[in-house]
Amino acid sequence: MTGIAFYGVVLLVYLGTDLLAAWGLNLEFGVSGVANLAYIVVIAAGAYTYAILTLGPDTGNGGFQQYVLGLHLPFGVAVVVAAAVGAVIGVVIGVTGLKRIRQDYQAMVMLVISLMAATVVGADTGFLGGQPGLSLIPNPFSGLGGAAGDWAYVAMVAFACVIGFVVMRRFTGGPMGRALRAVRDDEQAAAAMGVSVVRMRLLSQAVGGAFGGVSGALLAAFIGGWSPGAWAYVETLALLTAIIVGGLGNDFGISLGTFLIAVLLLQGVQFLPEIRAHPGLTEALGWITLGSLTIAFLAIRPQGVFRERRPRYHLGDPVADPAGGGTGSAMTPPR
Amino acid sequence: MHILIESIGFGVASGAVLSLGAVGFTLQFGISNLLNVTYGALMSLGAFLGLFLLGLGLNIWLVMTLGGLLIGVTSVAFSRGLISPLTRRGLKPFSLVIVSVSAGIVLEYLIVAVAGPATQSYGNLSGTTLHFWDFTLTTSQVTILAIAVVLMLGLHLLLTRTQLGRAMRATSSNRTLAKSCGIATSRVSDIAWLISGTFCGMAGIALAITTESFDFTLGSLFLIPMIAAAVLGGVGQPYGAMVGGLVVGIVTEISAAYWNPAYESVIAFAILILMLLVRPRGLFGSGSARRLLA
Repeated sequence: MTGIAFYGVVLLVYLGTDLLAAWGLNLEFGVSGVANLAYIVVIAAGAYTYAILTLGPDTGNGGFQQYVLGLHLPFGVAVVVAAAVGAVIGVVIGVTGLKRIRQDYQAMVMLVISLMAATVVGADTGFLGGQPGLSLIPNPFSGLGGAAGDWAYVAMVAFACVIGFVVMRRFTGGPMGRALRAVRDDEQAAAAMGVSVVRMRLLSQAVGGAFGGVSGALLAAFIGGWSPGAWAYVETLALLTAIIVGGLGNDFGISLGTFLIAVLLLQGVQFLPEIRAHPGLTEALGWITLGSLTIAFLAIRPQGVFRERRPRYHLGDPVADPAGGGTGSAMTPPR
Repeated sequence: MHILIESIGFGVASGAVLSLGAVGFTLQFGISNLLNVTYGALMSLGAFLGLFLLGLGLNIWLVMTLGGLLIGVTSVAFSRGLISPLTRRGLKPFSLVIVSVSAGIVLEYLIVAVAGPATQSYGNLSGTTLHFWDFTLTTSQVTILAIAVVLMLGLHLLLTRTQLGRAMRATSSNRTLAKSCGIATSRVSDIAWLISGTFCGMAGIALAITTESFDFTLGSLFLIPMIAAAVLGGVGQPYGAMVGGLVVGIVTEISAAYWNPAYESVIAFAILILMLLVRPRGLFGSGSARRLLA
């Protein structure tokens, strides 16, 4: 496989996993309004879960790396468990956010959780490989070898994205989506309309967490390695920028934003010529652009390139959603 | 017992730096009501600025003063140029936190772009080692401790004995009311950002003096124990932050001596989460502090 083709494969896998992650974060942040700055932790949890479920006992390969568990589970099972672990951790993180503290305090707590999780995992070598991390994580298509295996992986990520998209639409559209948005926009009004705020918040955390878990598992299986360096807290900001630039709560917008930010910008800067006297300059430029973009969008166009599409109601219309029933259709037309 | 007393000594030394940073953080939070994550990056900037000034051959304590003041001015520019305009545009507190996280990242990577990602060091400035009783401290640690005490005393006198200090306290406890009483709140807020930034820069340089080596993440890593100290003492309360800094410093040093040093920052984290969930007003928090959190 030529270098360019392989780079294409890498970019496509990154795009797919980033899309899953951005959709998950959008469910939490854009749709239900949970300020999860620790989202990268669920991605990491998915990656580590997948790794320790497929690597086998850590005495293999001369025992050069240490980790807990160490099973030989098939790929599909490991990914499903990774999704479940992501969901559980998402809910645990979400519970701290339920406490009635200011939203910026909540964001702070999340940021701290993200920093500390990386510190704890990095400090304990016996738990998940410590700072050097885990390597030799099995790729399910390694048997196919070369180009065939790589493209098979791309196809599988694409398939996961299709499933993810269908699942996401269940939560962003229809009665469920309206209930979640109602909780985000006005908690008390939503509660008064019979929406269980706590249940909705935790549900969005669980689903968002599962998305992150799958994203992490697919990424770790492709790269073959995972370490605390791969999930610094700034990575959450990259996803958040994609969502803010694309358009908070707009499914199409955030998908485009993910492509622009996570793939085109952060991967694109690597095509800039590396200046020998300034190592790390190009990467720094990428992050500087990213941070500036976030600030610029929040200041000038906080709704993003594509604004969130809200269902419109008109006087005299028949009930907009006859099948909805229950909590969702309790939304009244905006006055 | 020897280890305990020795680690209390280390704790007081690192607590002095923590207090310095936490007081600056909390002062600025009290005035602007913004959780300013950029504070950590400004600290790193202070440390690198100190490195540059040190390279010019200046005395380290002059570097600390000069670097601190420069960061103070930067901090006012940050407030004037970015935070105030955005607050006037009606950005929500959460969006402002995202702005300050982003600004912090921009600042950190600007440091990388100029100075490179490599770790830096001020060289050995610790001076001679002093022993009294079971305490073992270096002269530079003792000097930093003294500077911190002087600065805190100065801030105390400013807040309690001067017209400006009264205006600052009034603005912190109720900005609208202070404004309608004829206090020039935007000027008071500028001064608060200046003092807070100066404390921030000095803490950054003090931290760089006391650690063996540092890179551009110096400040953001120090942000957790610092915010823990500020929250422990009650956010927006300078006196609380002084005590909070000492407590967090001593507790983390003792835990490092008796437990795994790698978990040092985990203790600060645990204190922070516990305080936020159980008593967000802080240990000495009053009713007005509760208003900030509601």
